[in-house]
Amino acid sequence: MNLFSLMAHHGYALIFGLLLAEAMGLPFPAAIALVAAGAAVAAHALAGPYVLLAALLALLLGDSAQFWLGRYMGWALLGFLCRVSINPETCILRSAESFYKRGKITLVVAKFIPGVNTMAAPLAGSMKMRFSQFLRLDLAGALLYSLTYLVVGYLSRDFLAAILRGFHAVGRTMEAVIIASLLVYGIYRVVQYRKNKTYSVVPRVQVEELARRLASEDASRVQIVDVRSHGYYDSGSARIRNSIRIEPNNLEEEIKHLPKDKDIYLYCT
Amino acid sequence: MAHLLREKGFNTFVIVGGLAAWRKAGEPVEKVPENDLVKLPTFN
Repeated sequence: MNLFSLMAHHGYALIFGLLLAEAMGLPFPAAIALVAAGAAVAAHALAGPYVLLAALLALLLGDSAQFWLGRYMGWALLGFLCRVSINPETCILRSAESFYKRGKITLVVAKFIPGVNTMAAPLAGSMKMRFSQFLRLDLAGALLYSLTYLVVGYLSRDFLAAILRGFHAVGRTMEAVIIASLLVYGIYRVVQYRKNKTYSVVPRVQVEELARRLASEDASRVQIVDVRSHGYYDSGSARIRNSIRIEPNNLEEEIKHLPKDKDIYLYCT
Repeated sequence: MAHLLREKGFNTFVIVGGLAAWRKAGEPVEKVPENDLVKLPTFN
């Protein structure tokens, strides 16, 4: 069963589920599902208004949940979401500044931008946007996103059917492409693993060991350094006593103040 | 980051478990000073 026939049989539930999952930050192919739903509407297998309603409900529900999670969990949630980014330490601040600079309109276009779509709703919550304002902007964004892909699917129904027929015809070629892609990905992971293994030469110490050293006469040769970024956003945050902070985004400048005659113990969250 | 600092001549170590492990062990913490907090923009 291909995506189109699946869409024709379970279209509304599928659209609702996939878009809700995407709005909650899961990597689901919601845009492709919308395009397929648009084609199904063109084929009179689904009713356009109901598809749109299912899509809007799912997106608003998921985004609202993310908004309130962002409001109450603050930077803890954003930190969690950022862990999957390329640079977790700079992810939150960079996203927040970008969001602020582009203004509230970001919410309208966020769903088209990979990465920003996951962060937009929790950021709006964390940055104290009014919920009524968020709902208006998010509704506009959800409408724009859903309609764009539905219209693309609606207008290109024949073209999409031809592509699918083409996929069936070149099935073996596709299999080879998929296997090659998996192989390249596997090699990439091995290279990353070896690179990280090199980094693991930095000695690691247990808390108890460091605490013993701090209690000894040798304590003056110890400098504890906090390298968190997102631990410094909420007032009331705590750090290890007598530790100093290094801003990971400004490492070159910050290390000028680090003592070279002391052992440096780094920690994050 | 520990690796980068090591390359620049610092004798670095990483605390296993970070702040969470430190707290769990009952070791002392302090409040982050106000002037160290990063001020984030807000909408309202």
